[in-house]
Amino acid sequence: MQPPATDVKRQEISPAQLKTLDASAQQILAKYEFPRAATLPLLRLVQERFGFINTAAEEWVAGLVGVAAVHIHEVVTFYTLFHQQPVGTYHIQVCQNIACALRGAEGCLASLSERLGITPGQTTPDGKFTLSAVECLCACEAGPVMQVNDQYVGPVSAQVIDALLKTPEALPELPVVFQGTVGLVEPVLSKRFNFKDSTLIETYVRDEGYQAARKAVAELTPDQVIAEVTKANLRGLGGAGFPTGKKWSFIPKESAKPKFLVVNADEGEPGTIKDRYIIARDPHRLIEGMIIAARATGCRKAYVYVRGEYAEPARILQQAIDEAYKYGFLGQHIFNTDASLEIVLHRGAGAYICGEETALLSSLEGGKGFPRLKPPFPAIAGLFGSPTVINNVETLACVPTILNKGGEWFAKLGYGKTGGMRLYSISGHIKKPGLYEASQGVTLRELIEAAGGVPEGRTLKAVIPGGISAKILRADEVGVRMDFDSLLAAGTMAGSAGIIVMDDSTCMLQALWYAAKFFAHESCGQCSPCREGTGWIFKIIDRIVKGQGRPQDLDILMGVASNMEGRTICVFADAAAWPVQSYISKFREEFELHVREKRCHLTPAPAREPLAVNVWSSR
Amino acid sequence: MAETPKQITLTIDGKTVTVPDGTTVLQACEKANSPVPFYCYHPGLSIAGNCRICLVEIVGTPKLQIACYTPAANGMVVNTTSDKTLSGRRDVLEFLLINHPLDCPVCDQAGECWLQDYYMQHGLYDPKFNETKQKKPKAVPIGPTVMLDAERCILCSRCVRFTDEISKTGELGIFNRGDHAEVGVQPGKELNNNYSGNVVDICPVGALTDRDFRFKCRVWYLGATNSVCTGCSRGCNIQIHYNRERQWRPHIANGERVMRLKPRYNPDVNKWWMCDEGRYGYKFIDENRLTQVQLRHQGAPKTATWDEGVDLIGATLKRLRDAKQLDQVGVVLSSHLTNEDLFVAKRLFAELGVRQVVFQRPKNGASDNFLLQADKSPNAKGAQALGIAESAEGLLEKAAKGQLKVLWVFTQDLSTIFGEAKIREAAKGLELLVFQGTNDHLTAQLAHVVLPSAVCAEKDGTLTNVDGRVQRIHAALGPWAQSRGDWEIMQDMAARLGVALSYPDAPAIFADLAAREPAFNGLSYQLIGDQGVLLKA
Repeated sequence: MQPPATDVKRQEISPAQLKTLDASAQQILAKYEFPRAATLPLLRLVQERFGFINTAAEEWVAGLVGVAAVHIHEVVTFYTLFHQQPVGTYHIQVCQNIACALRGAEGCLASLSERLGITPGQTTPDGKFTLSAVECLCACEAGPVMQVNDQYVGPVSAQVIDALLKTPEALPELPVVFQGTVGLVEPVLSKRFNFKDSTLIETYVRDEGYQAARKAVAELTPDQVIAEVTKANLRGLGGAGFPTGKKWSFIPKESAKPKFLVVNADEGEPGTIKDRYIIARDPHRLIEGMIIAARATGCRKAYVYVRGEYAEPARILQQAIDEAYKYGFLGQHIFNTDASLEIVLHRGAGAYICGEETALLSSLEGGKGFPRLKPPFPAIAGLFGSPTVINNVETLACVPTILNKGGEWFAKLGYGKTGGMRLYSISGHIKKPGLYEASQGVTLRELIEAAGGVPEGRTLKAVIPGGISAKILRADEVGVRMDFDSLLAAGTMAGSAGIIVMDDSTCMLQALWYAAKFFAHESCGQCSPCREGTGWIFKIIDRIVKGQGRPQDLDILMGVASNMEGRTICVFADAAAWPVQSYISKFREEFELHVREKRCHLTPAPAREPLAVNVWSSR
Repeated sequence: MAETPKQITLTIDGKTVTVPDGTTVLQACEKANSPVPFYCYHPGLSIAGNCRICLVEIVGTPKLQIACYTPAANGMVVNTTSDKTLSGRRDVLEFLLINHPLDCPVCDQAGECWLQDYYMQHGLYDPKFNETKQKKPKAVPIGPTVMLDAERCILCSRCVRFTDEISKTGELGIFNRGDHAEVGVQPGKELNNNYSGNVVDICPVGALTDRDFRFKCRVWYLGATNSVCTGCSRGCNIQIHYNRERQWRPHIANGERVMRLKPRYNPDVNKWWMCDEGRYGYKFIDENRLTQVQLRHQGAPKTATWDEGVDLIGATLKRLRDAKQLDQVGVVLSSHLTNEDLFVAKRLFAELGVRQVVFQRPKNGASDNFLLQADKSPNAKGAQALGIAESAEGLLEKAAKGQLKVLWVFTQDLSTIFGEAKIREAAKGLELLVFQGTNDHLTAQLAHVVLPSAVCAEKDGTLTNVDGRVQRIHAALGPWAQSRGDWEIMQDMAARLGVALSYPDAPAIFADLAAREPAFNGLSYQLIGDQGVLLKA
């Protein structure tokens, strides 16, 4: 018999208690042009102090930022990291997305559930542990991973679980799994990842850091900077692949309103780990890239929107920002010129959709992460209605090198119309999961081989080339180059370069189940086709998994996917449709077997042997 | 001087239409008589673009575009009836309906539900949904006037935008995300503002229903008559919805006639909205009405015929006229009477030679800076425009001092305005207190003769609102019991006293009124139409 799990005793937060946070609240408010933008940090402040957020707290925040309290309640219910009930002293959040699932995440959650005697969503009677199943934490290289309070832990094994239950206050740190370069003469972005003290400004300056920023601010005109970046064929590495030089040139030169630079560090695409490495291993490279981008676009204020789960990276980046201020690289009169740049680090609160640039702006302004109707595009009316340039972390991290080595050099490093190199995250059924740096022209096969290929005795079955949204490739399609245009021509997309490898032990229905679950969980719920369609798709797939498939289900799935594609405000619905369409069309026989004979072609299902370094075992 | 906006020309379903620059495709489609369905779009609210049913094909654009947000452009070619458009519309409708409970038979919205309407017009697909529907809160009273059914909600966010942008009270929000998203109020709070009821009007489905109207009457039994709210001097344009099947279905709402009031669009008065005070202030129409002529002249009160009542008053007035004592007669008209009533009264008493004719407003009440006015009279401006003096106070004092023999009071319960003591005092000093009005109250009870009259919902005529806008009201109902229209009663009186007044109907009165009264010169019912006309300044 399991002991009945109980909620932690309901507590209240009184207005008087909230008043004690007033001074801290004023400091937060001072960072933002518009008070409402302080909503997320203020809610975080409450939760860090009291462990949860109640109606009184919502009203306190509403009063400070000047909106109706109901809209604060909307925000609290929208983001997964906000709790309306207290959680245990240790909140264990186990990733249940595809990359970790391929490495045994299901067993990991089951074991924790058994050992703690609670199901996900519950708290142990002593109030010590709360167990949650969560979507991708973007630490797929260390899968299966979990997050215990703010700390990432992985790969999770029986020993790790033992340690967690015994000494939850002293957990092992996440390993750094930068695996090197593939086919590059020298690393560009990853050069300093394995250096000691790579996050410190002393070492960055020692390694010739901030020279490009100095040059951009003190010697070059904005147009010259844009010209160089344009020449480099740098494209948006968040996943859209939009030419960066062109994006910068859209920002109006003259603007009555202040212009903003926003860095999209809301890394969330399942299978992607790259931005976390840049922030946590070489934060000054990002800051330098920001200084240059701000110079090119005439921005004097920048926000870095870091995904809420990235607590440690955010701490490291904040420290780096503080250092850069001390060195005179940020603030007023940077590099002894008239130029200035303020950087505010802003943390998200758990919502994949905030990686969509206009959803990110809505979130940064203190609302739910709702993508916006376009036009106007952010370049004209973005953050607080001002011209705004939004760039991904990796994109900006490329910029110092472009100025140092020249646009032509960078362009040559790449392939076709995509300049430079990229950080590839490789996870799933692979011997050496981790982060790899390679030219844009590298082939998927070369990357998989560099990562050691699939485990011994298995054969490659399928690969997701650019994060969970990208259409899947069969084993015979991995000769494709990884640049944006080649993958587009191959019927998929480069996306965030999150490569998830699946071997022949993978049931494609099960794989699609994870993708469908993810999109149903993360749809913002604004547009009806996506809100309803993602849930519908998941329910059908879940029913087939349970052996209740009907002959017409596959056609319905394809129909629902295409009916929501292209009919919503943002491309989330399209991204949710693509896995459905590609998995079913490329592996239709497997799906039909499930529907027709209610069984998997992998019968008996192969033992799900964990692949992590410290192998997970259930008994 | 404002520049005329540039005109642009586009083609919609093969029809060329010219619209001013800044028009949306949706508005242009309406102009081209190719209407596009919509849920989240509302002309009085910001554009949300979330329901996606207004998707149309724009030639040269690969994806369907939402008509509500896309600006019309010169040379644009729009197809609202192409296969691509129709399938987009049908698919969106299916998405909206998969988690909808389809509980139409027990839903109050049935019959005026946009899901039903659009399914018949644009849906008619074979349903493919075979899964368990999302469960959400049902029958939740979210405030004194509104009931929420979150399962029926299509999350168009109209109500949320209303409380943000129009009432500016911010009670409603959409919580959670994905298909768990649901509309609601903050825990522990309620939707309670002067304009709560409007969220029911703008809810295109059965998610927000009116607690007052709920389960009273199926909407297909309702008749609708254009009218004007008489709750205050704003004169919001409304429709009176009444049970037109009452004769055959007397059980509905215990036989009450008026089921609800709904705002009617008037850009110059109330736009699409009305306040709750007005919306729910219709009960007096069917409750506590004066039904019969009553005499309390001598001894115990008794019901009487109209002839008996009118004869009694007529005889008294004749006596005083003959005795040249008409200066001891006072008339307190009401700002609830129509312009037509007031005009006939004015003529009658002028020809009789009664000089002391005033009008009285009701007591001031709640107001806000949107629609609700402190002055609760629907026609004080009309009385002023007809040159009728205001306030019954002087006459009451005279009556109390015994300087009046007859006081004829219309509609108002003077005790709520001047206090009970004053009215009793005045009544004591009078030989004849006539009350002509609609509802029973202290003033009526003190009267020696009670003449039951019709309420505005039972009248044709015009009212003049606070801005001096003359607006038409139409009789939605026949007069209650034995009550009669005010001007008809007065015309009856005129006949007894030999005054020549014989208007056949309200239009004839207004025609004469417009001819004789300078403020109304040139006005006509045709000119007033459904949206009203301002009096000359």
